[in-house]
Amino acid sequence: MISANASALDGSLYFAISLLLVILSFAGYFIFLLTGNKTVSKASFVVLIAAFLIQTFAFVIRWIDAYKIGIDTPPLVDLYDSMVFFAYVIILGFILIRIFYDFDILGFIITIVAALALAFASFSPLAPSAIEPTIPALQSYWLIYHIMTLFVSYGAFGASFGLGILYLIKSGKENKNGGGNKKRGGFVSLLPPSIIIEEAIYKVVVFGLVFLTVGILIGAAWADSAWGGYWSWDPKETWSLITWLTYILFIHARFIKGWGGKKMAWIAVIGFAVVIFCYLGVDLILPGLHSYATPGSTSIL
Amino acid sequence: MLSKLNKFFSSVKLAIFLFIAIAAFSMVGTFINQGDTASQYRTIFGTQTYHVLYWLGFLNIYGSWYFIGLAALLVVNIVTASVNIFPRTLKAVFGPYPSFKEMMDKKSPKAVYEVVESTKNAGETKKVLNEKFGKPFSETETELYYSKNSIFRFSPYIAHLSIIIIIIGVILNVKYGFRSYANIKVGGKTDISYLTKNRKPLNLPFTIRLDDYRTKYYKDGIPKSYTSKISIIKNHVRVATKNIRVNHPFTYDGITIYQASYGHYKPTKVIVGLLVLNLKNRKFRKAIYADVGKLYDAGIDNIKFRFITHKKPKKGEIPFFIKLNNKHIINFHVLPYKNQSTPLVFAKYDNIVFIYSGVKQVKSYYYSGVEITKNSYTSVIWVGSIILIIGLFFSFFFNHREIWVNLTNSKDGKKIQAEILAVPKKKFESFYKDFYKKTAAIKKELH
Repeated sequence: MISANASALDGSLYFAISLLLVILSFAGYFIFLLTGNKTVSKASFVVLIAAFLIQTFAFVIRWIDAYKIGIDTPPLVDLYDSMVFFAYVIILGFILIRIFYDFDILGFIITIVAALALAFASFSPLAPSAIEPTIPALQSYWLIYHIMTLFVSYGAFGASFGLGILYLIKSGKENKNGGGNKKRGGFVSLLPPSIIIEEAIYKVVVFGLVFLTVGILIGAAWADSAWGGYWSWDPKETWSLITWLTYILFIHARFIKGWGGKKMAWIAVIGFAVVIFCYLGVDLILPGLHSYATPGSTSIL
Repeated sequence: MLSKLNKFFSSVKLAIFLFIAIAAFSMVGTFINQGDTASQYRTIFGTQTYHVLYWLGFLNIYGSWYFIGLAALLVVNIVTASVNIFPRTLKAVFGPYPSFKEMMDKKSPKAVYEVVESTKNAGETKKVLNEKFGKPFSETETELYYSKNSIFRFSPYIAHLSIIIIIIGVILNVKYGFRSYANIKVGGKTDISYLTKNRKPLNLPFTIRLDDYRTKYYKDGIPKSYTSKISIIKNHVRVATKNIRVNHPFTYDGITIYQASYGHYKPTKVIVGLLVLNLKNRKFRKAIYADVGKLYDAGIDNIKFRFITHKKPKKGEIPFFIKLNNKHIINFHVLPYKNQSTPLVFAKYDNIVFIYSGVKQVKSYYYSGVEITKNSYTSVIWVGSIILIIGLFFSFFFNHREIWVNLTNSKDGKKIQAEILAVPKKKFESFYKDFYKKTAAIKKELH
């Protein structure tokens, strides 16, 4: 029997409620996808904003709870924290994009990703919600800046992943229809023209890339001031470099002749897979994560 | 030939290849543990696989010749590409700016072109255009050139320069700095540490003494802090004492000491308990726990001694003896002791008696692992990092916008025709939307 993380004390109950709202919003976007009913998509957006506000409240509760039991680092340290924060950031990213662009259909993908992250946090035994005291390695003011910047970038890359998929669907259909504006094929016609998606992908990626760069460099500065060196080729560090190179490749690939929107969309999709591996894969698969210890002794970092 | 080489080294395709190659080799390094010892690798992979991996350089991939070679190639790529395009950028920023006709002849696929007819005279037409496009950068009788944010054409150069600065900082850091570690037992000291990359010993310019080590716990048993109290000793004088914790290192003389780990030392050797008695002065008794072979002071008449074991003891003989002042050998004797199951084993010399009280395991003890690092030239890396962030920010969010306008009289001579041409840096819908919005507004006003 899987027991859900749902305690009012540590805020996980409110995250669980927000999960229900995100699923509801997802269902709305799904209906919108089938019917193209704008009212439904607007309602979904409102529900998503409600979910976002509840999450904000949950974070405040969680931070206060952490503070009460004598932990002065923000609740951004364990897997549960990071999963719900990821969902939080990706929803925020979508809300911002939605305000500037008419991108209702992106909500369909964003709500899937956010719901998966929240569901993982709420139900996975790997991610207990109880607030654990912060281990010494993370007791630092660098922590909040390091994690915040990286999660903003993760959120942006998540959005670019969604946009990339939409681009691939849309451009595939456009080519089939000979670039005409025939209103066929249900939801594809709801998508903005691929050229607009292409621009949005670029803008979201460069936004994420700036934050990724800042986050990695803050991490290096933290490591330098706390752990003995700015770079140790530890798996997490190395995968963050691989992620960075992937998006740097995205920026440069545009200058190659013939590398149009389709290839760029693919890079955005693959790039997010790299992000996910860097974020979760390294923690769950690769050994020796952030083990900066000397050989043969107990690691305390 | 030279131009072909130049083209190769400055190409974006090379850059793309390098990104993929560096990422791929980095990936290999995360799946194979780096920097383990040869024997560890042999147990993990087996001798043959170990040799193959070693030959491929996969066991120290980030220091391998090809990884460094790829980084070097990246630097060459950045430099040649920058040098090749730089004159063009200089021209775009400082002029001479291309004329309307030149731009039209280029037939850029990104270009947009609109013709607006004006019923107003040339001066007023220009005024309306300026209202929409800003102050013209250069102006002739019939041509207007608008340029905004041209200075930001330099931002990609700054971003690329920063990468080179960071690489230079890394090279200087590797060359003049070091990263090493040492495990010091509580109460012990060391002036040697071991390099992290190859475990070679390194002489430190001072001695580090570990005065105390403590782990503090939260109520539920999770570690809260690891604290080592360390003293720096230079020329036998204690010059500094400081508590170091994780995230709170201590820097002395350019060398930083970090709390990195702690451990439990489990010994393999034994020590021998000896009781030293003075027959003249019955009150004197001294207990010594002696390492085999080590020189100790007996505390009587400046006599020094070693406890030594026979390499090949004869049968029935006591397998150890005492060597006094490196000269006299005194053997142990056995004296059955009344009411005791174990006999008294002793050695006597003049008025000194050594009573053997058995072997015992050395007590295990805790030690603290510290990283000892000389981080030279990291400031270069941080300067490069800040420049990188600034460079990226301005590269991404500030675009150079150029508009060319050519004014001609229409055929009947009554109207003025304004040909408006824009060539964006990036083929973005928002740019064209903005362009058409502006030209539509101009059309309306000039009509």
